[in-house]
Amino acid sequence: MLTLMSLLLFLLVLTNLTLLGSSRLAFCIRTVALQGVVLGLIPLVGLQPLTLQHGLLSLAAIVLKGGVFPWLLLRSLRVARVKREMEPFIGFNVSLSIGFFALISSVVFASKLPIGGNRDSLIIALALFTMITGLLLLISRRKALSMVLGYLVLENGIYGLGTVVADHIPMVVEFGVLLDVWVAVFGMGIAIYQINREFDHTDVDRLTELRG
Amino acid sequence: MSGLLILFLLIPLVGIGALLFVRRGRVMFMLSLGAVLLDALCLLVGVSGLPTCLPMQTAGGWLYLDHLSAWHLLVMLFVFIAGSLFAPVYFRADLANGRLSLAAARRYNQLWLGSLWTMTLTLLANNIGLMWVGMEATTLVTAFLVSIYPKPAAIEAMWKYLIICSVGIAFAFIGILLMAASLPATGEGSQQLFWTQLSIAGGYNLLLLKAAFLFSLVGFGTKAGLAPMHTWLPDAHSQAPGPVSAMFSGFMLNAALYCIMRHGAIVNHALGSDQFTSRLYIIFGLVSIVVSASFIIYQHDIKRLLAYHSVEHLGIITLGLGLGPVGCFAALLHTLNHSLCKSLSFFAAGRLGQLYGSYTMGRIRGALHSAPLWGIALVGSLLALIGVAPFSIFISEFLLVKAAIDRQAMVALVIFLLGSGVVFVAALEHLIPMAWGAGADLPGKRCSLPAVAVVIGLLGLLLFFGLYLPVPIQDFLTRAAALTGGLP
Repeated sequence: MLTLMSLLLFLLVLTNLTLLGSSRLAFCIRTVALQGVVLGLIPLVGLQPLTLQHGLLSLAAIVLKGGVFPWLLLRSLRVARVKREMEPFIGFNVSLSIGFFALISSVVFASKLPIGGNRDSLIIALALFTMITGLLLLISRRKALSMVLGYLVLENGIYGLGTVVADHIPMVVEFGVLLDVWVAVFGMGIAIYQINREFDHTDVDRLTELRG
Repeated sequence: MSGLLILFLLIPLVGIGALLFVRRGRVMFMLSLGAVLLDALCLLVGVSGLPTCLPMQTAGGWLYLDHLSAWHLLVMLFVFIAGSLFAPVYFRADLANGRLSLAAARRYNQLWLGSLWTMTLTLLANNIGLMWVGMEATTLVTAFLVSIYPKPAAIEAMWKYLIICSVGIAFAFIGILLMAASLPATGEGSQQLFWTQLSIAGGYNLLLLKAAFLFSLVGFGTKAGLAPMHTWLPDAHSQAPGPVSAMFSGFMLNAALYCIMRHGAIVNHALGSDQFTSRLYIIFGLVSIVVSASFIIYQHDIKRLLAYHSVEHLGIITLGLGLGPVGCFAALLHTLNHSLCKSLSFFAAGRLGQLYGSYTMGRIRGALHSAPLWGIALVGSLLALIGVAPFSIFISEFLLVKAAIDRQAMVALVIFLLGSGVVFVAALEHLIPMAWGAGADLPGKRCSLPAVAVVIGLLGLLLFFGLYLPVPIQDFLTRAAALTGGLP
């Protein structure tokens, strides 16, 4: 079992680094979907004795993040007719370097945190790294869709952190959170559609009507 | 009695469903007013049994009402009643000439009741995770109220609001996870994250708990519009239709601050003193006051001006939370005063903007002459807003000064007074030409009954609470303030 877990954690790192270094948006959407599935599997494979509720939750997360979200986002990608993230504010190579640095710092930082045991500490480190990746995507990219991806990656990281303290979080809340994220992605998809209709582009740095 | 709490959540949902079957615009607005009034009636019935039946809980402890949440519920219903009364006045012309389609009117009313529902959930949730779910849901529901008229500027504002607040609130969830992690692994009742249990539990990991509070403060603070996380606020407030701006400023920000109060109470209890949270409250409060004061000077758009006033007043409330029991009392009183006042001022700004065809303050001239009712509303509410006696904001700010002197927080006091002074002068400079300048003759001097009722009602309440604070309300607020402090 441990090896499967290592594979999942390895995939988590890989998806983050891929996201930081690639410009093709359709590819990024699929990578985020893969990341969602990986995170959904972690509690199934690894942690506590599995209850029915945890199983259901993981299933819901996998279906939403691996199926519904990419479908929604690929649709709005088609509507907005964009393919690539051109000229991000922080270049791909620099993003990648920051990513490596963030990965190392997360591992060091998590090992000092007074939560859980060794394996928990690794999950926390990678969850932290995922959150940082999400934030980096949010601030460094130009296209509206990349920001939605950044938000999703941030949320993925939080979900990962949540698996460690899952005992304390009641199911109703977990499902509520999933529902909220779903509605958020849905709303952001509609927003991209409206931005594209009114502005004829989806570059967020060119949304400058409101100042001061 | 505790079935009442379920009723609070049911009424808006029934209203949303009923709206599907209504085919006339005016009836839709009447329906949502009806739902809000019914909610208010429930609260009145509940309050009449006070203080014996508080705190009450139901649904296995998931829904919970104590003095703190009841006070916020009261403020919320004031804002929603005023907003529902004002909405038909605001939308009437557009509804008649078809600029607001029937489908859009239905969507507006459904989202309006939807925001009522999500905010009620936030207030009634005993579980801090569920509280978060409700708060995030308010963002999602209200975002589409901003762009009910799909203009480019409104869509830009909606996008910024959606992204910034979703990311901000995500940080608050990190705070909740950290709080869960800081609990002892096996402790009584630690399984459920109920506020009622968290606020009496022991054995926290204090370092993690402090970190958790920082995340919650920044996360919910984003939604509450505390500087420097306030950047979405002026955009969203200025682009939303009048009643929505009023609801944003009048209650949504307070709902986020309410979540912070709950978290603060837990942390204060665990640390055994309010020193840690006080310091943070004071810093964020003062930064908000200073930032908003410097932006208020340079505003050209009346709704953006009011939006920065919201940042200032939320800063004042946060500052109050950091000044001990008297400060908390003042902060909670200020919540009510600010909400009443800001609703009125956004109504006035919305109507004047419609009448003059522009929200630019340079274009609004002589409102007292051109549109007397809304001119009076603007003058009254802005004067109240900057703390002129005898309006009630003066009282709560005065109490705040007293609390600061009691706590010997002299630096905070000086910065607060300087900030308020700047705002006072700047706002008057904006207000005087708008109200007394040479005005044009506008059509539509006639005012409908609901419009007059809203203006007189809100101004009356502001004056009333400024002159006299009934003893039962004082007792009620004292208890709510004790809950905010979280200390025995």
